[in-house]
Amino acid sequence: MNTPATAHAHHPAGSRKPLLRHRKNVELLRPPQLAALQQAFARVIEISQNQVTDNRGFQHFAGIHGMPQWLCQHGDAPGSNPLFLPWHRAYLYAFELSLRDQVSDAALVWWDWTSPASHASGIPAAFAAPEAEGKPNPLFKAPVQPAARQNDQPTETFRRPRSPGELPTAERIRQIVSLRSFADFTTQIEDVHNRVHGWAGGTMGIVAWAAYDPIFWAHHTNIDRLWRTWQLRHPQNFPPSFLNRALPPFPLTVAQTLNMKSLGYDYASSSAHVAGTNA
Amino acid sequence: MPERFVSDPLELPEHDQKADFVRAELQFYGVDHSGLSYEARVFVNRPEADRETALELGEDGGYAGSFHVFGHGGCFGDVGHCDVPQAPRPTYDLRLPHPLTPQTKTVIITEALRRARGSGAAEVTVTVVADVYDHEGLPLGREVGEPLRFDSISLLTYESPPPLPPVSEQEAERPPGPPD
Repeated sequence: MNTPATAHAHHPAGSRKPLLRHRKNVELLRPPQLAALQQAFARVIEISQNQVTDNRGFQHFAGIHGMPQWLCQHGDAPGSNPLFLPWHRAYLYAFELSLRDQVSDAALVWWDWTSPASHASGIPAAFAAPEAEGKPNPLFKAPVQPAARQNDQPTETFRRPRSPGELPTAERIRQIVSLRSFADFTTQIEDVHNRVHGWAGGTMGIVAWAAYDPIFWAHHTNIDRLWRTWQLRHPQNFPPSFLNRALPPFPLTVAQTLNMKSLGYDYASSSAHVAGTNA
Repeated sequence: MPERFVSDPLELPEHDQKADFVRAELQFYGVDHSGLSYEARVFVNRPEADRETALELGEDGGYAGSFHVFGHGGCFGDVGHCDVPQAPRPTYDLRLPHPLTPQTKTVIITEALRRARGSGAAEVTVTVVADVYDHEGLPLGREVGEPLRFDSISLLTYESPPPLPPVSEQEAERPPGPPD
Protein backbone atom coordinates (compact mmCIF):
# COMPACT_ATOMS: atom_id res chain seq x y z
CA MET A 1 0.00 0.00 0.00
CA ASN A 2 1.27 3.45 -0.89
CA THR A 3 1.68 5.88 1.96
CA PRO A 4 0.93 9.58 1.35
CA ALA A 5 4.24 11.28 0.75
CA THR A 6 3.73 13.98 3.35
CA ALA A 7 2.62 11.76 6.18
CA HIS A 8 5.88 10.19 7.28
CA ALA A 9 8.56 11.61 5.03
CA HIS A 10 10.40 13.51 7.76
CA HIS A 11 9.70 11.28 10.68
CA PRO A 12 12.50 9.65 12.52
CA ALA A 13 12.45 5.91 12.46
CA GLY A 14 9.81 4.53 14.74
CA SER A 15 7.84 7.78 15.05
CA ARG A 16 4.20 7.60 14.10
CA LYS A 17 3.16 11.10 15.07
CA PRO A 18 1.81 13.63 12.57
CA LEU A 19 4.17 16.42 11.60
CA LEU A 20 1.85 19.08 12.97
CA ARG A 21 0.34 19.20 16.39
CA HIS A 22 -3.31 20.16 16.34
CA ARG A 23 -4.90 22.34 18.94
CA LYS A 24 -8.41 21.13 19.53
CA ASN A 25 -11.76 22.26 20.85
CA VAL A 26 -11.80 21.58 24.59
CA GLU A 27 -15.40 20.42 24.31
CA LEU A 28 -14.39 17.64 21.91
CA LEU A 29 -11.26 16.35 23.62
CA ARG A 30 -10.92 12.59 23.93
CA PRO A 31 -10.09 11.37 27.46
CA PRO A 32 -6.42 10.60 26.66
CA GLN A 33 -6.00 14.06 25.13
CA LEU A 34 -7.44 15.74 28.20
CA ALA A 35 -5.31 13.54 30.42
CA ALA A 36 -2.17 14.58 28.52
CA LEU A 37 -3.06 18.24 28.96
CA GLN A 38 -3.73 17.78 32.67
CA GLN A 39 -0.48 15.90 33.14
CA ALA A 40 1.51 18.55 31.31
CA PHE A 41 0.01 21.39 33.36
CA ALA A 42 0.57 19.42 36.55
CA ARG A 43 4.19 18.85 35.62
CA VAL A 44 5.08 22.46 34.76
CA ILE A 45 3.29 23.62 37.93
CA GLU A 46 5.30 21.08 39.91
CA ILE A 47 8.56 22.31 38.38
CA SER A 48 7.82 25.81 39.65
CA GLN A 49 6.85 24.51 43.07
CA ASN A 50 10.20 22.76 43.28
CA GLN A 51 12.13 25.78 42.02
CA VAL A 52 10.21 28.93 41.16
CA THR A 53 13.02 30.32 39.02
CA ASP A 54 13.11 27.28 36.71
CA ASN A 55 12.37 28.65 33.26
CA ARG A 56 10.60 25.48 32.21
CA GLY A 57 7.97 25.98 34.89
CA PHE A 58 4.49 27.43 34.91
CA GLN A 59 5.40 30.41 37.08
CA HIS A 60 8.07 31.48 34.64
CA PHE A 61 5.59 31.61 31.77
CA ALA A 62 2.73 33.11 33.75
CA GLY A 63 5.05 35.82 35.04
CA ILE A 64 5.97 36.96 31.54
CA HIS A 65 2.51 38.34 30.80
CA GLY A 66 1.76 40.43 33.89
CA MET A 67 3.56 40.54 37.19
CA PRO A 68 6.47 40.49 37.55
CA GLN A 69 7.75 40.88 33.97
CA TRP A 70 4.92 42.87 32.33
CA LEU A 71 5.88 42.01 28.77
CA CYS A 72 2.42 41.41 27.31
CA GLN A 73 1.31 43.54 24.39
CA HIS A 74 -2.18 45.01 24.27
CA GLY A 75 -3.81 47.90 22.51
CA ASP A 76 -2.05 50.39 20.29
CA ALA A 77 1.58 50.24 19.35
CA PRO A 78 2.43 53.83 18.50
CA GLY A 79 3.77 54.08 14.98
CA SER A 80 3.07 50.45 14.20
CA ASN A 81 0.34 47.90 13.79
CA PRO A 82 -0.75 46.45 17.13
CA LEU A 83 1.39 43.62 18.45
CA PHE A 84 -1.42 42.00 20.43
CA LEU A 85 -1.99 39.04 18.09
CA PRO A 86 1.60 38.17 17.10
CA TRP A 87 2.93 38.62 20.63
CA HIS A 88 0.33 36.29 22.13
CA ARG A 89 0.88 33.77 19.33
CA ALA A 90 4.56 33.68 20.25
CA TYR A 91 3.61 33.36 23.92
CA LEU A 92 1.33 30.37 23.30
CA TYR A 93 3.95 28.79 21.08
CA ALA A 94 6.66 28.97 23.75
CA PHE A 95 4.39 27.72 26.52
CA GLU A 96 3.00 24.86 24.44
CA LEU A 97 6.51 23.65 23.65
CA SER A 98 7.29 23.71 27.34
CA LEU A 99 4.18 21.61 28.04
CA ARG A 100 5.25 19.15 25.35
CA ASP A 101 8.73 18.93 26.79
CA GLN A 102 7.04 17.33 29.78
CA VAL A 103 4.26 15.36 28.04
CA SER A 104 4.94 14.88 24.37
CA ASP A 105 1.31 14.36 23.37
CA ALA A 106 0.01 17.49 25.07
CA ALA A 107 -1.32 20.39 23.03
CA LEU A 108 -3.12 23.57 23.93
CA VAL A 109 -6.88 23.56 23.54
CA TRP A 110 -9.31 26.29 22.54
CA TRP A 111 -12.31 27.46 24.45
CA ASP A 112 -15.03 28.65 22.11
CA TRP A 113 -16.94 30.96 24.43
CA THR A 114 -19.64 31.41 21.77
CA SER A 115 -20.64 27.73 21.85
CA PRO A 116 -24.05 26.61 23.14
CA ALA A 117 -22.30 24.71 25.93
CA SER A 118 -20.42 27.83 27.03
CA HIS A 119 -23.57 29.93 26.91
CA ALA A 120 -25.25 27.32 29.10
CA SER A 121 -22.46 26.53 31.55
CA GLY A 122 -19.69 29.11 31.18
CA ILE A 123 -16.19 27.83 31.89
CA PRO A 124 -15.68 24.43 30.19
CA ALA A 125 -15.94 21.43 32.46
CA ALA A 126 -12.29 20.49 31.88
CA PHE A 127 -11.27 23.78 33.51
CA ALA A 128 -14.17 24.16 35.95
CA ALA A 129 -13.95 20.89 37.84
CA PRO A 130 -11.95 21.22 41.08
CA GLU A 131 -10.84 17.61 40.82
CA ALA A 132 -9.84 15.25 38.04
CA GLU A 133 -9.39 11.53 38.55
CA GLY A 134 -9.65 12.01 42.30
CA LYS A 135 -6.84 14.56 42.44
CA PRO A 136 -6.77 18.37 42.31
CA ASN A 137 -7.41 19.44 38.72
CA PRO A 138 -4.37 21.43 37.48
CA LEU A 139 -6.65 23.18 34.97
CA PHE A 140 -8.93 24.55 37.69
CA LYS A 141 -6.49 26.84 39.43
CA ALA A 142 -2.77 27.44 39.88
CA PRO A 143 -0.48 29.04 42.43
CA VAL A 144 0.68 32.66 42.08
CA GLN A 145 4.40 33.11 42.78
CA PRO A 146 5.53 35.41 45.62
CA ALA A 147 7.05 37.87 43.14
CA ALA A 148 3.57 38.51 41.74
CA ARG A 149 1.80 39.06 45.06
CA GLN A 150 0.96 42.19 47.01
CA ASN A 151 0.82 41.80 50.76
CA ASP A 152 1.17 38.08 50.09
CA GLN A 153 -1.99 37.98 47.95
CA PRO A 154 -3.22 36.33 45.82
CA THR A 155 -1.59 33.00 46.61
CA GLU A 156 -3.55 31.19 43.91
CA THR A 157 -5.93 31.98 41.07
CA PHE A 158 -9.68 32.27 41.40
CA ARG A 159 -12.58 33.28 39.16
CA ARG A 160 -15.82 35.15 39.61
CA PRO A 161 -17.58 34.46 36.32
CA ARG A 162 -20.69 36.32 35.30
CA SER A 163 -23.75 34.75 33.74
CA PRO A 164 -22.86 32.47 30.80
CA GLY A 165 -25.35 34.36 28.67
CA GLU A 166 -23.07 37.41 28.81
CA LEU A 167 -20.29 35.68 26.87
CA PRO A 168 -19.68 36.89 23.29
CA THR A 169 -22.02 35.59 20.64
CA ALA A 170 -21.20 33.70 17.46
CA GLU A 171 -22.82 36.50 15.46
CA ARG A 172 -20.42 39.03 16.95
CA ILE A 173 -17.47 36.86 15.98
CA ARG A 174 -18.83 36.42 12.44
CA GLN A 175 -18.96 40.19 12.12
CA ILE A 176 -15.40 40.59 13.31
CA VAL A 177 -13.98 37.83 11.11
CA SER A 178 -15.60 39.53 8.11
CA LEU A 179 -13.64 42.77 8.69
CA ARG A 180 -11.12 43.30 5.92
CA SER A 181 -8.20 45.18 7.40
CA PHE A 182 -5.81 43.80 9.98
CA ALA A 183 -6.05 46.98 12.05
CA ASP A 184 -9.83 46.65 12.18
CA PHE A 185 -9.75 42.95 12.98
CA THR A 186 -7.15 43.11 15.71
CA THR A 187 -8.85 46.06 17.42
CA GLN A 188 -12.24 44.37 17.53
CA ILE A 189 -11.05 40.88 18.44
CA GLU A 190 -8.92 42.32 21.24
CA ASP A 191 -12.01 44.01 22.58
CA VAL A 192 -13.85 40.69 22.69
CA HIS A 193 -10.79 39.22 24.38
CA ASN A 194 -10.94 41.96 27.01
CA ARG A 195 -14.60 41.20 27.57
CA VAL A 196 -13.96 37.52 28.28
CA HIS A 197 -11.19 38.38 30.73
CA GLY A 198 -13.58 40.66 32.57
CA TRP A 199 -16.39 38.13 32.38
CA ALA A 200 -14.25 35.46 34.06
CA GLY A 201 -13.37 37.93 36.83
CA GLY A 202 -11.04 37.31 39.75
CA THR A 203 -7.42 36.88 38.74
CA MET A 204 -8.41 36.41 35.08
CA GLY A 205 -9.90 39.88 35.07
CA ILE A 206 -6.71 41.83 35.72
CA VAL A 207 -3.59 41.93 33.54
CA ALA A 208 -1.32 41.47 36.54
CA TRP A 209 -2.50 37.90 37.27
CA ALA A 210 -4.53 36.70 34.27
CA ALA A 211 -1.92 34.33 32.85
CA TYR A 212 -1.66 32.44 36.13
CA ASP A 213 -5.15 31.04 35.55
CA PRO A 214 -5.03 27.91 33.37
CA ILE A 215 -8.17 29.03 31.51
CA PHE A 216 -6.12 31.98 30.20
CA TRP A 217 -4.36 29.60 27.82
CA ALA A 218 -7.57 28.14 26.39
CA HIS A 219 -9.01 31.64 26.02
CA HIS A 220 -5.98 32.92 24.13
CA THR A 221 -5.75 29.79 22.03
CA ASN A 222 -9.27 30.61 20.84
CA ILE A 223 -8.20 34.16 20.00
CA ASP A 224 -5.26 32.74 18.07
CA ARG A 225 -7.59 30.33 16.25
CA LEU A 226 -9.88 33.19 15.26
CA TRP A 227 -6.87 35.10 13.93
CA ARG A 228 -6.00 32.00 11.91
CA THR A 229 -9.56 31.91 10.55
CA TRP A 230 -9.34 35.58 9.63
CA GLN A 231 -5.93 35.09 7.99
CA LEU A 232 -7.33 32.44 5.69
CA ARG A 233 -10.06 34.80 4.51
CA HIS A 234 -8.10 38.02 4.29
CA PRO A 235 -4.49 37.61 3.17
CA GLN A 236 -2.56 40.76 4.00
CA ASN A 237 0.70 42.41 3.14
CA PHE A 238 2.57 44.15 5.92
CA PRO A 239 5.44 46.62 5.81
CA PRO A 240 8.88 45.29 6.71
CA SER A 241 9.07 47.53 9.74
CA PHE A 242 6.13 45.62 11.23
CA LEU A 243 7.22 42.20 10.03
CA ASN A 244 10.68 42.68 11.50
CA ARG A 245 9.46 43.67 14.97
CA ALA A 246 10.86 41.45 17.68
CA LEU A 247 8.47 39.95 20.22
CA PRO A 248 10.49 39.77 23.41
CA PRO A 249 11.23 37.61 25.27
CA PHE A 250 10.47 35.13 22.50
CA PRO A 251 12.97 34.39 19.70
CA LEU A 252 10.47 35.36 17.02
CA THR A 253 9.63 38.34 14.87
CA VAL A 254 6.13 39.27 13.75
CA ALA A 255 6.88 37.71 10.35
CA GLN A 256 7.72 34.40 11.96
CA THR A 257 4.32 34.25 13.64
CA LEU A 258 2.26 34.69 10.49
CA ASN A 259 2.51 31.10 9.30
CA MET A 260 1.45 28.78 12.09
CA LYS A 261 2.55 25.68 10.26
CA SER A 262 6.13 26.89 10.37
CA LEU A 263 5.63 26.99 14.13
CA GLY A 264 4.51 23.36 13.99
CA TYR A 265 0.82 23.59 14.78
CA ASP A 266 -2.61 24.07 13.30
CA TYR A 267 -6.19 23.98 14.49
CA ALA A 268 -8.76 21.21 14.29
CA SER A 269 -12.02 20.63 16.10
CA SER A 270 -10.93 17.16 17.10
CA SER A 271 -8.41 14.58 16.03
CA ALA A 272 -7.89 10.86 16.04
CA HIS A 273 -4.81 9.01 14.92
CA VAL A 274 -3.89 5.44 14.06
CA ALA A 275 -0.71 3.77 12.90
CA GLY A 276 -0.22 3.03 9.21
CA THR A 277 1.45 0.23 7.30
CA ASN A 278 4.94 1.10 8.50
CA ALA A 279 4.03 0.54 12.12
CA MET B 1 -14.37 60.63 38.35
CA PRO B 2 -17.83 59.35 37.49
CA GLU B 3 -18.62 55.91 36.16
CA ARG B 4 -20.79 57.68 33.62
CA PHE B 5 -19.91 60.32 31.03
CA VAL B 6 -22.04 62.46 28.71
CA SER B 7 -20.25 64.17 25.86
CA ASP B 8 -20.81 67.55 24.36
CA PRO B 9 -22.80 67.34 21.12
CA LEU B 10 -21.00 65.94 18.10
CA GLU B 11 -22.17 67.31 14.75
CA LEU B 12 -23.32 64.84 12.17
CA PRO B 13 -21.44 65.07 8.85
CA GLU B 14 -22.11 68.22 6.86
CA HIS B 15 -22.42 66.45 3.53
CA ASP B 16 -25.81 65.52 2.18
CA GLN B 17 -27.36 63.70 5.09
CA LYS B 18 -29.37 61.60 2.67
CA ALA B 19 -26.17 59.98 1.54
CA ASP B 20 -26.08 56.68 3.31
CA PHE B 21 -22.79 56.10 5.04
CA VAL B 22 -21.81 52.47 5.12
CA ARG B 23 -20.01 52.70 8.41
CA ALA B 24 -19.89 54.99 11.39
CA GLU B 25 -17.59 54.65 14.35
CA LEU B 26 -16.67 56.35 17.57
CA GLN B 27 -13.02 56.51 18.42
CA PHE B 28 -12.09 57.01 22.04
CA TYR B 29 -8.58 58.40 22.34
CA GLY B 30 -6.21 58.18 25.26
CA VAL B 31 -8.13 55.51 27.16
CA ASP B 32 -6.49 54.77 30.50
CA HIS B 33 -6.20 51.08 31.33
CA SER B 34 -4.01 51.21 34.40
CA GLY B 35 -6.76 50.42 36.89
CA LEU B 36 -9.88 48.28 36.91
CA SER B 37 -11.35 46.17 34.11
CA TYR B 38 -14.74 47.30 32.86
CA GLU B 39 -17.18 47.42 29.99
CA ALA B 40 -17.89 50.89 28.62
CA ARG B 41 -21.43 50.90 27.24
CA VAL B 42 -22.01 53.52 24.59
CA PHE B 43 -25.35 55.21 23.93
CA VAL B 44 -26.26 57.77 21.30
CA ASN B 45 -28.63 60.60 22.21
CA ARG B 46 -29.54 59.01 25.52
CA PRO B 47 -27.98 61.37 28.08
CA GLU B 48 -29.95 59.75 30.88
CA ALA B 49 -28.65 56.23 30.12
CA ASP B 50 -27.29 54.31 33.08
CA ARG B 51 -26.41 50.74 34.01
CA GLU B 52 -30.07 49.75 33.93
CA THR B 53 -30.65 50.97 30.38
CA ALA B 54 -31.39 48.16 27.93
CA LEU B 55 -28.55 46.90 25.74
CA GLU B 56 -30.57 45.99 22.68
CA LEU B 57 -28.99 46.94 19.40
CA GLY B 58 -31.55 48.03 16.84
CA GLU B 59 -34.08 49.23 19.38
CA ASP B 60 -34.91 52.82 20.20
CA GLY B 61 -32.94 52.85 23.44
CA GLY B 62 -29.92 54.43 21.85
CA TYR B 63 -27.53 51.61 22.70
CA ALA B 64 -24.75 51.65 20.12
CA GLY B 65 -22.22 49.10 21.35
CA SER B 66 -19.43 48.95 23.88
CA PHE B 67 -15.72 48.64 24.40
CA HIS B 68 -13.90 46.70 27.08
CA VAL B 69 -10.89 47.67 29.16
CA PHE B 70 -8.57 44.96 30.45
CA GLY B 71 -7.10 46.77 33.41
CA HIS B 72 -3.67 46.36 34.94
CA GLY B 73 -5.01 46.55 38.48
CA GLY B 74 -3.10 49.62 39.63
CA CYS B 75 0.57 50.33 40.03
CA PHE B 76 2.78 47.69 41.65
CA GLY B 77 6.24 49.12 41.07
CA ASP B 78 8.43 51.72 42.71
CA VAL B 79 7.89 55.43 42.18
CA GLY B 80 7.94 56.15 38.45
CA HIS B 81 7.25 52.57 37.39
CA CYS B 82 3.84 53.48 36.00
CA ASP B 83 4.74 56.83 34.47
CA VAL B 84 4.33 56.65 30.72
CA PRO B 85 7.20 58.53 29.04
CA GLN B 86 5.87 61.56 27.22
CA ALA B 87 8.88 62.43 25.08
CA PRO B 88 9.16 60.91 21.60
CA ARG B 89 11.55 58.00 21.49
CA PRO B 90 14.72 58.18 19.45
CA THR B 91 14.67 55.87 16.45
CA TYR B 92 17.27 53.58 18.00
CA ASP B 93 15.01 52.85 20.99
CA LEU B 94 13.40 49.59 19.94
CA ARG B 95 12.05 48.63 23.31
CA LEU B 96 8.38 47.69 23.46
CA PRO B 97 5.94 50.48 24.31
CA HIS B 98 5.33 51.26 27.97
CA PRO B 99 2.61 48.83 29.11
CA LEU B 100 0.38 51.66 30.29
CA THR B 101 0.50 53.70 27.09
CA PRO B 102 -3.08 54.98 26.71
CA GLN B 103 -5.12 53.12 24.11
CA THR B 104 -7.51 53.96 21.30
CA LYS B 105 -10.85 52.15 21.34
CA THR B 106 -13.12 51.93 18.31
CA VAL B 107 -16.85 51.22 18.56
CA ILE B 108 -18.69 50.68 15.28
CA ILE B 109 -22.07 52.43 15.63
CA THR B 110 -23.40 52.40 12.06
CA GLU B 111 -26.98 51.36 12.81
CA ALA B 112 -27.34 53.50 15.90
CA LEU B 113 -26.18 56.59 14.02
CA ARG B 114 -28.51 55.82 11.13
CA ARG B 115 -31.40 55.71 13.54
CA ALA B 116 -30.32 59.00 15.10
CA ARG B 117 -30.07 60.63 11.69
CA GLY B 118 -33.40 59.11 10.68
CA SER B 119 -35.04 60.80 13.63
CA GLY B 120 -33.88 64.17 12.30
CA ALA B 121 -30.96 64.75 14.63
CA ALA B 122 -28.29 67.16 13.41
CA GLU B 123 -25.96 66.27 16.23
CA VAL B 124 -25.57 63.52 18.76
CA THR B 125 -24.38 63.19 22.30
CA VAL B 126 -22.48 60.15 23.44
CA THR B 127 -23.18 58.68 26.84
CA VAL B 128 -20.70 56.17 28.20
CA VAL B 129 -21.60 54.03 31.20
CA ALA B 130 -18.99 51.90 32.95
CA ASP B 131 -19.86 48.42 34.20
CA VAL B 132 -16.91 47.40 36.35
CA TYR B 133 -16.07 43.71 36.59
CA ASP B 134 -15.72 41.82 39.83
CA HIS B 135 -12.32 42.40 41.44
CA GLU B 136 -13.26 41.40 44.96
CA GLY B 137 -10.45 39.67 46.79
CA LEU B 138 -7.65 41.06 44.63
CA PRO B 139 -4.84 43.13 46.19
CA LEU B 140 -5.02 46.03 43.74
CA GLY B 141 -2.02 48.30 43.40
CA ARG B 142 -1.61 52.01 44.03
CA GLU B 143 -3.32 54.71 42.02
CA VAL B 144 -6.33 52.66 40.98
CA GLY B 145 -8.45 55.46 39.63
CA GLU B 146 -12.06 55.41 38.58
CA PRO B 147 -12.93 53.90 35.22
CA LEU B 148 -13.79 55.95 32.12
CA ARG B 149 -10.69 58.08 31.89
CA PHE B 150 -9.98 59.09 28.30
CA ASP B 151 -8.89 62.17 26.37
CA SER B 152 -11.48 62.68 23.65
CA ILE B 153 -13.99 61.13 21.27
CA SER B 154 -14.24 61.38 17.49
CA LEU B 155 -17.25 60.47 15.39
CA LEU B 156 -16.19 59.18 11.97
CA THR B 157 -18.42 58.19 9.06
CA TYR B 158 -17.49 56.54 5.79
CA GLU B 159 -19.42 56.59 2.54
CA SER B 160 -17.54 53.51 1.45
CA PRO B 161 -15.59 50.96 3.48
CA PRO B 162 -12.32 52.34 4.83
CA PRO B 163 -9.86 51.54 2.04
CA LEU B 164 -6.98 49.24 2.67
CA PRO B 165 -3.90 51.46 2.59
CA PRO B 166 -0.90 50.60 0.45
CA VAL B 167 1.69 48.60 2.30
CA SER B 168 4.03 51.55 2.71
CA GLU B 169 1.36 53.50 4.56
CA GLN B 170 -0.21 50.71 6.51
CA GLU B 171 1.59 51.48 9.72
CA ALA B 172 0.02 54.89 9.80
CA GLU B 173 -3.53 53.64 9.33
CA ARG B 174 -4.31 53.81 13.04
CA PRO B 175 -3.65 57.39 14.01
CA PRO B 176 -1.97 57.90 17.38
CA GLY B 177 -4.38 60.62 18.40
CA PRO B 178 -7.43 62.58 17.41
CA PRO B 179 -7.48 64.56 14.19
CA ASP B 180 -6.74 68.27 14.41
